[in-house]
Amino acid sequence: MKKKILCSVLAIATALCGLTGCKGDSTNNDDPMSGKIVFTIWDNNLLTYIDENDMVGKFKEKYPNAEVEVEKIKDDTEYWNSMKMRTSANQLPDVMFNKPFTLSRFKDYLLDLSDTEAAKNNTLAKGYAIDGKVLGVPMTAGYEYVYYWKDMFEEANVEVPTTWEELKTVSKTLQDYYSAKDPDFMAIALGAKDEWPDYPYMEFMPALVNGNGQNWNDMAKTDAPFAEGTDINIAYHRVYDLFTSGVLGKDPLGLSKDQATNLFAQKKSAITALGDWGLQDIKGAAENVDDLGTFYLPVRESSSEPFRYVVQGDSFMGVTTHSKKPELAKAFVEWFYSDAWYPGYINYVSSASSMSNFPKEKDPILAESDKAQPDGVAVMYDGGGDDFTALQNETTFDYKKLGSTMLTDGFDLDAALSDLDAKWKAAREKLNIK
Amino acid sequence: MSSLAKKRRIFIIVALAIPVLLLVCFVVVPAVDLIRMSFTNWDGRSADYDFIKFDNYVSMFNNKDLWRSLGNNAVYFCVHLLMIPIELAFAVLLNSKLKAAKFYKTMVFLPYIINGVAISYAFSYFFSPVNGAFDGILEAIKLGMLKQNWLSDEKIVNFVLAFVSLWRFSGYHIVLFTAALQSVNHDIIEAATLDGANAWQMFRYIQTPSIMLMVDFILFDNIRGAMQVFDIPFVMTSGGPGYASSTFTLYTIKTAFTYDNFGLASTMAVAIMAIIILIYVVQNKIIHGIILKGDK
Repeated sequence: MKKKILCSVLAIATALCGLTGCKGDSTNNDDPMSGKIVFTIWDNNLLTYIDENDMVGKFKEKYPNAEVEVEKIKDDTEYWNSMKMRTSANQLPDVMFNKPFTLSRFKDYLLDLSDTEAAKNNTLAKGYAIDGKVLGVPMTAGYEYVYYWKDMFEEANVEVPTTWEELKTVSKTLQDYYSAKDPDFMAIALGAKDEWPDYPYMEFMPALVNGNGQNWNDMAKTDAPFAEGTDINIAYHRVYDLFTSGVLGKDPLGLSKDQATNLFAQKKSAITALGDWGLQDIKGAAENVDDLGTFYLPVRESSSEPFRYVVQGDSFMGVTTHSKKPELAKAFVEWFYSDAWYPGYINYVSSASSMSNFPKEKDPILAESDKAQPDGVAVMYDGGGDDFTALQNETTFDYKKLGSTMLTDGFDLDAALSDLDAKWKAAREKLNIK
Repeated sequence: MSSLAKKRRIFIIVALAIPVLLLVCFVVVPAVDLIRMSFTNWDGRSADYDFIKFDNYVSMFNNKDLWRSLGNNAVYFCVHLLMIPIELAFAVLLNSKLKAAKFYKTMVFLPYIINGVAISYAFSYFFSPVNGAFDGILEAIKLGMLKQNWLSDEKIVNFVLAFVSLWRFSGYHIVLFTAALQSVNHDIIEAATLDGANAWQMFRYIQTPSIMLMVDFILFDNIRGAMQVFDIPFVMTSGGPGYASSTFTLYTIKTAFTYDNFGLASTMAVAIMAIIILIYVVQNKIIHGIILKGDK
């Protein structure tokens, strides 16, 4: 009998617990500034800074009833894969990041942040608005640099190049000079095995040829964007000439980005093109960086053309439509870009500030690029909208893979571009893109 | 029906219900859904998609890069298949009264339990064109003239990757063969020994037929593994240069995640299932219907 009573009590308790959802915390569901939000990142530097500076605790000081769960995903490739799967399952985190080329893919799942102070104070956010909505606030302003060793340039008696032809000549001179002593030397360290490290050339150069940051979107409006005389055709021919001139060393396809950066840091290479984030990688691998310098990739054909370099918003912080606490998530974005957090973070990383209210002096090594080109023209890069992305997917146009394929035997660039034109035309017709 | 028979029937039904339910939930339903998705143009994110009949299947059959990738899978399949008799021979050796047999078994099994991604990273550096250990070994033994671009030469890259795959999985096969050999009835072996069977005859007519079930399993595992190989080419070469070392699975994942075409990727997943079954049936027919027919 006792057992029966005990069982009944337990059963009632279980049922009650189930009905009430076993709520153990004291969160007030009616308060929009209480509860938990998930903030998903991929950046190792950001994670280190968050841990070392107790971001979660500091946010809680401002919003005592709020919790932030920081979720780290291995790298950005894995990040997009994960976000795509979560989108289909209605499981996006409350706060997520985007890149310029992913904004249009996730535009239906991001809330408009136009009315936030973070967006208003951001120098780049409005430039990336889609249909007038700011869907993400760039955490940094991203610049691309060519890193080089000054002492190696001096020894080989070459100057910093200011045109594409000069870059080719300088690279060739460096290759000839140093490979006589070291057969493993490469004038330009690329890491083409990973494919993506060729992005400074393959992704940005078409936009820099004529200063058209909307190049990808304009390509979507034409049937033959790869034809002779187009920006992309000109850019890829220049890249092909450089890549096949022997300045990437004996086997660029056999080396990964990490290996290439390490070899550059050990001065087994004189030049490497990376984003501003690359400075931290190089500093981490090099014994000292006293002789490290930078210049912007000189894409122009002659010095009579304007010198153009690319700038883009990077790491667009956005609030997703799947968030159950959108007000709290927006408050987190506001807090992140406020005096309480952003100045410390932006000074910790090598990237430039994207906030007008928190300007940051560039690292002296990176500032050398601006000194070398005081009249340089910044080209605001757009990663491509819906139409371009749809065409890219339909034609399987992978510019990073194309760059590494240029290094294979028997590759015919004109045939490859002509094939892409045919696919592009068919895709526009199929997808009814005007 | 007697009470005992009734209870037995209930027990059998209950015992079967759970695995069948799990199988239906986690294998049958996803497989059916995969086939359904293979007829759509779903991009992996949107709530909406269209049924596009056989467009994905037509697109798949016209995709040269995909079939080139499948050709690369064939390299793994053939290399592993050729190694199976050698693995079996090793297992027989380790099953004999060899000194320190346990140590050797541990050593050959070790690569299998190491994380595949870690192995791939290690071999990337091993075959690196600059400061690579393999080139260093060739230099040390005065064979420097044999140095190659191991990971970027389209003619050899798949064999290099298949070698890494062999290094990782051969030990697993050897241990499975060893376990099967240990289960062979000792009476039969003793009888064969008394009848004067030599080592080769023992291996050919007693041990091999006795472990045929395990041989079948390893042959099937070889097909499945070779057709679905992913981590080694993904880490070591990203499928490159171009698509020279891409595999069917690598291409399928790229289609889904890089090109946002989950519908076409589902079609490829259906195709690889069909290919695995087809190769298994053909292989079984060849081995049991032709090669081993004489033994029956």
